[in-house]
Amino acid sequence: MSVVADPDLGEEPREPAGVVPVVVLDDVWRVFPTDPPVEALRAVHLRVDPGEYVAIIGPSGSGKSTLLNVLGLLDRPTGGTYQLDGIDTAALGDRARAAERGRRIGFVFQSFHLLSYRSVEENVMLSELYLGTSRRDRRCRAVEALERVGLGHRLGFSPIRLSGGERQRVAIARALLGEPSLLLCDEPTGNLDSANTAAVLDLFDDLRAQGLTILVITHDTEVAARAQRRVRMVDGQLAEVA
Amino acid sequence: MGAARPRPRLRFADLLDETLAGVFARPARAALTTLGTVLGIASLVATLGISRTAGGQIVGRFDELAATQVTVSARTAGSGSSSRAAATLPWDVELRLDRLNGVVASGAVAEASNPGSLRTVPLIDPQNVTERLVPVFAGSVGLLDAVRGRIATGRWFDAGHVERRDRVAVIGADVADQFGIDRLDRQPGVFIGDEIFTVIGILDAAPRDTGLVQSVIVPFTAGQDRLGITRPDRVVVETVIGAARLVAEQAPVALNPNAAEGLKVTAPRDPARTKDAVQDDVNQLFLLLGLISLVVGAIGIANVTLVTVMERTGEIGLRRALGASRRHIALQFLAESTAMGLVGGIIGATVGIITIVGVAGSREWTPVLDLWLPLAAPFAGAVVGLVAGLYPSVRAARMEPVDALRAGT
Ligand SMILES: Nc1ncnc2c1ncn2[C@@H]1O[C@H](COP(=O)(O)OP(=O)(O)O)[C@@H](O)[C@H]1O
Ligand SMILES: [Mg+2]
Repeated sequence: MSVVADPDLGEEPREPAGVVPVVVLDDVWRVFPTDPPVEALRAVHLRVDPGEYVAIIGPSGSGKSTLLNVLGLLDRPTGGTYQLDGIDTAALGDRARAAERGRRIGFVFQSFHLLSYRSVEENVMLSELYLGTSRRDRRCRAVEALERVGLGHRLGFSPIRLSGGERQRVAIARALLGEPSLLLCDEPTGNLDSANTAAVLDLFDDLRAQGLTILVITHDTEVAARAQRRVRMVDGQLAEVA
Repeated sequence: MGAARPRPRLRFADLLDETLAGVFARPARAALTTLGTVLGIASLVATLGISRTAGGQIVGRFDELAATQVTVSARTAGSGSSSRAAATLPWDVELRLDRLNGVVASGAVAEASNPGSLRTVPLIDPQNVTERLVPVFAGSVGLLDAVRGRIATGRWFDAGHVERRDRVAVIGADVADQFGIDRLDRQPGVFIGDEIFTVIGILDAAPRDTGLVQSVIVPFTAGQDRLGITRPDRVVVETVIGAARLVAEQAPVALNPNAAEGLKVTAPRDPARTKDAVQDDVNQLFLLLGLISLVVGAIGIANVTLVTVMERTGEIGLRRALGASRRHIALQFLAESTAMGLVGGIIGATVGIITIVGVAGSREWTPVLDLWLPLAAPFAGAVVGLVAGLYPSVRAARMEPVDALRAGT
C-alpha cells in the first residue's frame, strides 16, 4: 500500500506511529430486515490509506452500492466497526454524521445529481452550503474547482446544456469542493461514452496524483484497470484482487 | 478524540438564497399556488377595510337631532276598546327630569280628543271668518324647548299662565296663515269648540314635532279645565349628545317611580351600535369567505409543496449527501412555503386596499384604513404558508438519504 502525505489530514489528530488510514472497516455487516433478510455486506474488512485509488468490482446485486453508502455515512452498518479518518462512526449521531459527511466525503453518482434550475457554478457551490462557509469563499472555490476539471468557461451555464461528460466533471468539481478525505464514486462512467469516460478517468488520475483518496465502483474493466488497487465484491463479501 | 462533535450549519442568507431559487425555479407554479392566499387575504383586508370605511360614514352622517331625543309615552295594556294606559305620565316633567344628568329640556304634551272646530272671533276681522278642524294640544312650559320650537311673534306661555289657568293659546304658523292672524297686539281670540282662548304667540317651527306648526297649543291647566284633557300622552326630552341612552334609562323612574315599567321609552340607537349592526350583517359573510379562501389557499400551498418534495426527492438525497441535516431539509421546504404565503399575503393586501379605495371612491366615502391591516396581512399570509408547509417539510426531512438518492435520478 502506498503511503502519501495527505495535506487534508494535517489538522487531524494522528497516531504517533504513522499515517491514520482514511477507512478502516472491521467485520462490517449490513443486513436488510426484509423477509427473508438480505445480507448485503458480510464480514467486510477494508483498509484504505490516504492517497489510494481503489476500484471495487463485482456483479450487480453483490453489495457494492451498499458498501459505498456505509462508507459515505449515508447508511449504518448493522454490525462491525467503521473508522473514518480515525473516528469511530458508530458513536456519531444523525447530525454529526451529516456534518462529517459534508466535511470528509465527496460523492460522485452515476446519474450526476445536478440541479437543473441552478447554474453550473451554483451547483458546485452547493457543496459547502452546509459547512457554513461564506458565499464569497464558496464562489471562489467553486470557480477554482471548475477550472481544475477544465470547465472554467461554463460557470453560468445550465447543466441541461452540458454533455454527459461535462456534467460528470461538474459533479466531480462539486465533490472536490469541501476538500474531502475520500472521493466515493458509484459507477461514475456508467452513463458516459468512451471519449467522456476517458476524460473522467484522466481527471481521476490527476486528482490521485494530487494526493486525493479515491474509491470507485465500476462494472467496466477498463475503468478498474486505471486504479492502483482492485477489490472484488461477491455476495456481500470482499476480496482483494491480486 | 474528545473534540466537540461538528454540527452542520446553514447560514440564514444562504437559506434565503436557496428558498428564492427554489420558488423561482417554477415561477408559474408558484404564482398559481399563491392565488388562494391572495384571494383569501384580499377579501379579508377588503372586508375589514370597507366595513371600517362604511362605519366611519355612518358615524359621520349621524343625525344630531335624532341622537339627542328621548320620548316617553304610556304603554297600553289590554287590546281593542278595553285598552288603557298601563301607567300615567305627570305634567310636572320639568321638575322631575331637568335635574337628571344630560337633560337639556323636557316637556309634556297631550292631544285633545274632540276639541271641536277652530274659529276666529268674528268681531275682529269680518272678512276672515272661517272655521276649521285643527289639532289641539295641551302642553307644559318646557315643551317649546324640548321640541326646539321657535316663536315668530308673541311668546310661549309661562309658569304664570299655567298657575293662573289662563285661557291662552299659541297657534302654529300654518294655522295663523289660514286664519289671517299676523298681529297679536290686539290680543286676537280663537274659539276651540265653544271655548275662547287668547292668542299670545305664533309657533314658527318645531323641528322635533313638526305637526305642532299646524296645531293650536294651550297650557295643560287650561286644557284640563276647558278641553277635557287629563294626562300627557307623551313626554319629549332633549339631551346632550351621548346622554340619550342614559336619560332613557332614568326617565321612566323619574316620571312614574311606581309604574316605571308601564312606560315606553324611545331613544336613538347609539352610533356604535349602528356601526356594529352594519358590520354584523354582510361582513361576517365576507370574513367567512375570506377565511375559507385562506384555508383553500393553505391546502393549495400544502399540496404543491408536497408535490415539489416528491419531485425533488433526488435533490433531497443530494443535499443530505452534501452534509445537510434533516432539519436543514425541513427548513428549506418550510421557508419555500412560507415565502409563497408571504408573497400571497403582500399581493392580497395590495388587492384588498385597492378594492377598499375603489369602493370608497365609487360611493364618495373617505377610505378609512387601520394601519395594522396592511402590516398584519402579509404576516397572516406567511403564517398560512408556514402551516401549509409543515407536513411536506416533515415528509422531506424523514426521507432516508440512500432511498432519496436512488429514487430521484
Ligand atoms: N433497502 C434495501 N432493502 C432490502 N434489500 C436491499 C436494499 N438495498 C439493497 N438491497 C439488496 O442488497 C443487495 C446489494 O445491493 P447493492 O448494494 O445495490 O448491489 P450493487 O450495487 O452491487 O449492484 C441486493 O440484493 C439488493 O437487492
Ligand atoms: Mg449499485
